[in-house]
Amino acid sequence: MRKMILATPLAMLFAGCFATQSDVQVLQSDIRTLRGEQLAADSARKIQMDRALASMRTANDSLDALSTRLTRFRSDMTSSMSSVQQQLLQVQELTGQSQRRIQEVRASLEERQSATAPPDSTGAPATPGPNALFQVAREQMMQGSNAAARQAFQDLITKYPKSDVAPDAAFYIAETYAAENNTAAADSVYARVASQYAGSPRAATAIYKRGVAAQAAGNGDKARDLFNQLIKKYPRSDEAALARDRIKTIK
Amino acid sequence: MQLKQILIAAVASSALALTPAAARAQNPTVPEGVRLGLNYTLGTKPGVLVLPMDSTGGDSVRAILQRDIDYDDRATVITLDDQSARAMMPKTGDDFNYPIFAKLGVVAILRPQRSLTGITITMYDVAAKKRIQIGGFPLTDQVNSPAWRMAVHRASDEVERWIFGTPGAAATRILFSGGDKQIWVIDSDGENARKLTSVTLAMSAAWSPDATKFVFCGFTPSGSQIAVYSFITGDLHWLSGTARGLNITPAYSPDGRTIAYASGSEGGTDIMVMQEGDASPSRRITVGRGSDNTSPSFSPDGRQIAFMSGRAGHPEVYTMDADGTNPSLLTEFTYGEQAYRASPDWAPDGRRIAYESRIDGNFQIMTIDMRDRSTKQYTSDGQNEDPSWAPDSRHMVFSSTRTGPRQLWVLDAESGRMRQLTHAAGARLAAWSPILKP
Repeated sequence: MRKMILATPLAMLFAGCFATQSDVQVLQSDIRTLRGEQLAADSARKIQMDRALASMRTANDSLDALSTRLTRFRSDMTSSMSSVQQQLLQVQELTGQSQRRIQEVRASLEERQSATAPPDSTGAPATPGPNALFQVAREQMMQGSNAAARQAFQDLITKYPKSDVAPDAAFYIAETYAAENNTAAADSVYARVASQYAGSPRAATAIYKRGVAAQAAGNGDKARDLFNQLIKKYPRSDEAALARDRIKTIK
Repeated sequence: MQLKQILIAAVASSALALTPAAARAQNPTVPEGVRLGLNYTLGTKPGVLVLPMDSTGGDSVRAILQRDIDYDDRATVITLDDQSARAMMPKTGDDFNYPIFAKLGVVAILRPQRSLTGITITMYDVAAKKRIQIGGFPLTDQVNSPAWRMAVHRASDEVERWIFGTPGAAATRILFSGGDKQIWVIDSDGENARKLTSVTLAMSAAWSPDATKFVFCGFTPSGSQIAVYSFITGDLHWLSGTARGLNITPAYSPDGRTIAYASGSEGGTDIMVMQEGDASPSRRITVGRGSDNTSPSFSPDGRQIAFMSGRAGHPEVYTMDADGTNPSLLTEFTYGEQAYRASPDWAPDGRRIAYESRIDGNFQIMTIDMRDRSTKQYTSDGQNEDPSWAPDSRHMVFSSTRTGPRQLWVLDAESGRMRQLTHAAGARLAAWSPILKP
């Protein structure tokens, strides 16, 4: 049994040693073929890789171009927006100036009309219009004649309650009190402006003025309430921006 | 020629006329209840003659009085050489030969004399042929020292008050940024220029209302910051309530408690306010939304602020309430016009605002009337910038290149007359003081 176990490997060894030369050549040819196929496959893969890389590069370039275009577009948009904003501000300024001019012209017209109008049945001269009254009142105010200005503004509101300048007149009544350091009266009239003329730009200013006065008087809670009310009602107004800063300073 | 005589006030009290001059010289102030009086032709500048004064510093007293009256622009100084003037002085006990003075065009004679504590000035009305005013002025400092000269300027201002009813503005000084980028101060007559600071890029000085200190901006490691200089202590301290970065063009409120200035960031430049001595952060009072808002100048009552803003696309002068509300375009805005109007300064009487305006490529000094918004141009040669009103609301100091290098000039807004104040190159950003108290 032990002899049979040794004989098998020996037989196999002798069989291998006796492979023919043609067998070796076939083997070598196979190896060459395999190598060739390997090289061909590598080359194809490289071409594919190069193509893929080129595609990626192209894609990157396209992305870059797109990004540049986007940035330029954004920049153009920002510039346009800024320009639009600037023009809006200019329009606002011009509107303000034009309104002032229109008011002056209206006042002048009203003065002429009242000068040429026949007296009423009682013989009294024709009453001036709202713009003429407003103009007179403003002049009185600028001269420091607060009581006279107040009277003229009050006349305007009484006679022409629906006039365009009625909110301004009410606001300036409060300003005349503030100029006289009569803070209680000023606060009361500012409050009336904010409630009666809530749609006027003067409303936000009136609330802000009340808040500032309350803060100056040491009434921080009232000031904070008023500033918060202003921010809530007129969030995009200049006064709201100022109120946000003011709230931070309330101790 | 028929003269329309005007009487500014009534004659001096008889008690004053009877009081010996030597005794009155002890009293440095004009007695209570004295009324002023001088006759001169309406619409003309009355001729004033200042007589020579014997004693140390007498020539300087006369020269300063003459120059101050001349610079005040309301009177014509009749100048006579010393010998001729002395020949016209009366001998003891005699009165002036008034007709000769009248022929020379003299309306008022001023006679300065040495007193125990300083000088006594007597004013004679040539038309009325009598003495109408007398006042004593202490001069305790060394002759021609800055304090001594300032005391003589005060005497000049009082004499102006005798003649016109309102004082002059000679007893004042002017702060400015020199060519060395430091803050300097100079007397209103151009004398006694001296440097006050030694910080980097010091500029935009502004007086406190009591003239005991001034606020300015200078460059520090934290950027341009705001500092206060005290004339009393000579100390300088940087204010802590400002943010890092750009803080410029400070100004005191008329009550002296608030300092307004412009603070810049990436989102534009806004005007801020802070309480001096309060370390809490400053508070914004403009909502420029990205625009530049600078150069605040308070109205005399402190209720409004004039400032420069670029919110409409280019710099224009605006006004607003001191709390930041009611911003309103003050100067004329024309759509499409690239105007540049800046550096507003509110006149002490509140009636006008001076500013600079670019006209044909050069900056010129303008004023706008606060009542009817009418404007007036005062300059046309060279670059003229940064106007600042004198306390008399009549004169302005401004920087100008009219003779080449940038210098400070003084302008009389009534007559348009100008005089050069500084002579060293590069002076700019001037600020005229209030009347300086002793």
